[in-house]
Amino acid sequence: MIVLEWRFLTIAPCDAAEPWQLGSQDAATPMMQGIIDLHHDIFFFLILILVFVSRILVRALWHFHYKKNPIPQRIVHGTTIEILRTIFPSIIPMFIAIPSFALLYSMDEVVVDPAITIKAIGHQWYRTYEYSDYNSSDEQSLTFDSYTIPEDDPELGQSRLLEVDNRVVVPAKTHLRIIVTPADVPHSWAVPSSGVKCDAVPGRLNQTSISVQREGVYYGQCSEICGTNHAFTPIVVEAVSRKDYGSRVSNQLIPQTNQTGEA
Amino acid sequence: MAEVDSSKPPPTLSEQYLLKEKEEKLDMGTKPAEELEVKDPANATSEEVATEENPVVANESSGDPSDEATSNAGESVAESTQAAAEENSETAEQDDSGDKEVEETPEIKIETAPADFRFPTTNQTRHCFTRYIEYHRCVAAKGEGAPECDKFAKYYRALCPGEWVDRWNEQRENGTFPGPL
Ligand SMILES: [Cu+2]
Repeated sequence: MIVLEWRFLTIAPCDAAEPWQLGSQDAATPMMQGIIDLHHDIFFFLILILVFVSRILVRALWHFHYKKNPIPQRIVHGTTIEILRTIFPSIIPMFIAIPSFALLYSMDEVVVDPAITIKAIGHQWYRTYEYSDYNSSDEQSLTFDSYTIPEDDPELGQSRLLEVDNRVVVPAKTHLRIIVTPADVPHSWAVPSSGVKCDAVPGRLNQTSISVQREGVYYGQCSEICGTNHAFTPIVVEAVSRKDYGSRVSNQLIPQTNQTGEA
Repeated sequence: MAEVDSSKPPPTLSEQYLLKEKEEKLDMGTKPAEELEVKDPANATSEEVATEENPVVANESSGDPSDEATSNAGESVAESTQAAAEENSETAEQDDSGDKEVEETPEIKIETAPADFRFPTTNQTRHCFTRYIEYHRCVAAKGEGAPECDKFAKYYRALCPGEWVDRWNEQRENGTFPGPL
């Protein structure tokens, strides 16, 4: 009952963590869907092994109880059983490894041509996002800082310590290239719904490709200990339609282009 | 992470997972019609890109697409294999974005630096650095403001953090830039 209340009475935090959540957040990208599917695939073998091992264990305890059977059987060698118990456990990891590697390498893939590059730059303790695809000079760039909403500040319906003042707006159903880097210490850019957790290493640009499949607001948190306010460095990704993205970006870009003059 | 390739028969994970493929279906709907218009089926794809890009150029005030077309032609003389790969990827992208703009006509052109086959890994630091150097070498060779170099500028601006670019610009002015220029 309480669980049901939690389910339905919490103010829907879109794609953020829920109280007492056990599973993954809903997938927003094919990558996350792959991760969830792999989890379920592996769980099949996991439960199989659990049941089998428990059966052996309980059976052994039952049949070789010291009162019931004080002298255990003295078998020290059996070729058949030894072959079986060597072959089977070595096949199972193979069944786990094949989908796992397939997913791993598909996540690593960067050959798909992205439509948009967004630079997520971690700072102590906020994030800067740069949209530089539309620049015509080095100075002009669509850059903004994204700070967390302080703990005593959120409005009704906002998630505590998950909300930021400026969200990253991305178009849905578009190949995005996220370039992750920090300006000071290591950070991480992680959004569970999109299956992304990319470390930000100083002096290095890490690329991760995502393609958000549905419009929505996705929440994430810093995942690399980066100092005192590590817990107060959330990430909010807002996926909008391509059309809305175009108008949003151009609206933010126009005041800047008026100064420098577009090419 | 399969690109929207309608020719591939087995659906990949990403394709299976797509919720509604409005954009893709519109693509497939428009393509056969356009192929009928274009008489030569062999050149259909390239013709299509050209015919679609031209109205976009006319509509937009920015000269980016036309610049790119010329720079592509210029670059293919200099770097043969890479240019070919880039051009292929670029035309594919332009095709995609071209369709988009005919449908929705947003104010900006959704386009960025293409994936580079020299840098296939997660670490893209060298990609950014190389693009920056390529731009400045291009400027050195062809002169300031040469339209062929615009696309390299676009690429490095898309890839490099602004802070890095500022620092490198400063270093170039002071003559302490660590790269081969
Ligand atoms: Cu942190």
